[in-house]
Amino acid sequence: MQQMPNRIGKRPRVQPPADFVEREDGFYLYLDMPGVEKEKLILDIEDDKLSVQAKSNFGLVAGERVHSMEFGEVEYCARFEVSELVDKEKVSAKFENGVLTIYLPKRKEVPPKRIRIDVL
Amino acid sequence: MVINYGSFYDFPHLFDKLMNDLHDPQPTASRRATFPPLYISEDETNVFVRALVPGAAMEDIELIIEDNTLVIKGELKPIQGKYYQQERPTGSFQRLVKINVPIHKDGITATMKSGMLFVQLPKSTAMKPRTIHIQPR
Repeated sequence: MQQMPNRIGKRPRVQPPADFVEREDGFYLYLDMPGVEKEKLILDIEDDKLSVQAKSNFGLVAGERVHSMEFGEVEYCARFEVSELVDKEKVSAKFENGVLTIYLPKRKEVPPKRIRIDVL
Repeated sequence: MVINYGSFYDFPHLFDKLMNDLHDPQPTASRRATFPPLYISEDETNVFVRALVPGAAMEDIELIIEDNTLVIKGELKPIQGKYYQQERPTGSFQRLVKINVPIHKDGITATMKSGMLFVQLPKSTAMKPRTIHIQPR
């Protein structure tokens, strides 16, 4: 069986598996995106839409005889809606071991203002 | 008289088999049956094994070569917090890769980059085909 990895013209678009957890300080979104270079990762936040886009690069070169191919080059694509509770100005992200972690801190709740009623 | 059973001769039997199969329990199709997914290839001098293990650090993975089998094992730790959605795999995993060519074991190198493990196994040079010159007598 001989396959040329570079024959794959159009890479499939995949939605990376995601974990969403809540901790004391806010929400964390984890996305499995192996093969991505940090510099080529596009992360946009617009209004309440968060979008992630990146292409993988596993260094699959032509000229190797392939015996088993359980993954290939893909384009990662994901969209999320950001809750009202999140302080969008303070969203941060890091990329480590092929996992993108997006930190969505909770908005500081404005304490309800008490209106004093003066008795006339 | 010629009896032509044709290709449908087996049909009643096949139909019964199909109906029986429907009653047997089916293995549940999981989205990713084996973890980690592998990409195995070779060129003239090396065998390459690539594995996708996002979330695993170098120290989380153990690589063992015994006889002609490469063992990739490790554990993906779950993250702390209250889960609202979980799609990423966690827990321990192990996969065996049988290498059918002799390998120069001391020359094996492994690297990790961006969630992909890359193992390079050089083929044993002792097994390379050599031309034997025929001497005139």
